[in-house]
Amino acid sequence: MDAVSLNAAAGTQVPAASLRNAWVKFGQFTAIQDISLEIEAGAFYSILGPSGCGKSTLLRLVSDLIPPAAGEVSVFGKTTEAARLAREFAFVFQDATLLPWRSALKNVELPLEIGRSRGIDIPVSDKSPMELLELVGLKGREHALPHELSGGMRQRVAIARALVCKPKLLLMDEPFGALDEMTRDHLNLQLLKVWEETGVTILFVTHSIPEAVFLGQKVLMLKAHPGRLHEIVDIDLPYPRSIAQRDTPEFTRYSAHLRGLLEAC
Amino acid sequence: MTAVENTLNVIASDEAAEIAAARRNRLVAIATPVATAATLIFLWEAGVRVFGVPDYIAPTPSAVASTLVEEFPQLMRNFWPTLYESLMGFAVGNLAAVLIAVAFVHSRLAERAFFPIAVFINTIPILAIAPILVLIFGAGLTAKVVIAALICFFPTLVNMVRGLQAVSPQALELARILSASKSEVFWKIRLPSSLPFLFSALKIAATTSVIGAIVGEWVGADLGLGALIIDATFNFRSALLYATVFLSSGLSVLLFAAVTIAERLVVRW
Repeated sequence: MDAVSLNAAAGTQVPAASLRNAWVKFGQFTAIQDISLEIEAGAFYSILGPSGCGKSTLLRLVSDLIPPAAGEVSVFGKTTEAARLAREFAFVFQDATLLPWRSALKNVELPLEIGRSRGIDIPVSDKSPMELLELVGLKGREHALPHELSGGMRQRVAIARALVCKPKLLLMDEPFGALDEMTRDHLNLQLLKVWEETGVTILFVTHSIPEAVFLGQKVLMLKAHPGRLHEIVDIDLPYPRSIAQRDTPEFTRYSAHLRGLLEAC
Repeated sequence: MTAVENTLNVIASDEAAEIAAARRNRLVAIATPVATAATLIFLWEAGVRVFGVPDYIAPTPSAVASTLVEEFPQLMRNFWPTLYESLMGFAVGNLAAVLIAVAFVHSRLAERAFFPIAVFINTIPILAIAPILVLIFGAGLTAKVVIAALICFFPTLVNMVRGLQAVSPQALELARILSASKSEVFWKIRLPSSLPFLFSALKIAATTSVIGAIVGEWVGADLGLGALIIDATFNFRSALLYATVFLSSGLSVLLFAAVTIAERLVVRW
């Protein structure tokens, strides 16, 4: 069985994340209004929407960084807190958020160090931190400090760090938003490779329609003011995907459809 | 010679020229301040001689230099106590500041309660508080160490509090996702990220701790650069006074350089 159908087969089990009538409020401001949603395990979701639609808030809700004002959120059938304590998910931020005094390798090892002294049982990837750096194409740069790496390389270290505790769900908040297009294309391909190799579920927030279509099996379209679920679009393009696919009529059709939805928001 | 070789030669000679220019720039950067200082010292020497300024008002640089050599054993006898007091004060003052900064960052109440007091103590001129401390701790080593510690304390406290708070919100979110405990956040994130702030404070403290020790010695001491300054002044031994001042500033430079080297070794990012 190839990786993609393996990922899809996992989808018949417990959903990776499930939101039931979830609301998020910051004081008077409603950031997320009544979202109900099930995230299929093993799938790749892109999350798209205008600014202020609560894309980042949705990830923060799932990752137990903010609590729901109402409704229920679960990750692999557990509360978000239990899932956080069990390291079932990992987060990749918009900016790599590496600790500048630690080498690339030491940054990847950070999640393994935290909680160890308290005797917490941390899941560990089958791949060593060194192999994870190799997986994201940073072989030979293990001992470089973050300031010696380019923006794209730093983001790749952050991805390796996110994978080190063998997460079942990877939450990515515009991780490539600050990178130039060439680097972004390259990292998109690498991310798909990581997804296929690890079988992890990915929720990927982006501003870019082509990026959303290129990566995702499904695109979650959100609406702004207040943030609501607009539509879920299935992207039926075969994997492994290649940059050349972006010039195909199907790809353009999906992009145009999403652009239409975005403008209607 | 082919055209390609020609081009390569041109490139090579360009590189050589660039390296030579860089070397010249560095030389100029060093030579300019040295030449300026030398000129000023020469003008001072000439001025004192030409205008016949009496030795007890202003000695010539050459007189200061020869005193520095002749009185070297006496100067060193007074140098060591001041070095010791400065180092002790530096250690005590900075350690206290770091510990209190940690307490402030962990407890808003502690910060509210004690920060205004810290500010108030900092506003008292060190010269005014020195006699009080000598009354309390006696004329021995303790009073000098306390004065040196006190003068180091405030800048380090303020910088360290800022440093411990200078963690990016995303780094704290990362810590939360990893379910890090408070002490893990402190040791793995807050403390290392405060180090650049700590070192800028320590550089200030390196020079002020010497001032504190000397002020302490002014109030009451038999030995030390501060005591020698008072002694030389009242005996009109101005060349010795200048030599002592020169040595005091040398001590500050020494401590500053030590902190700078430590910083280079520790803060590599």
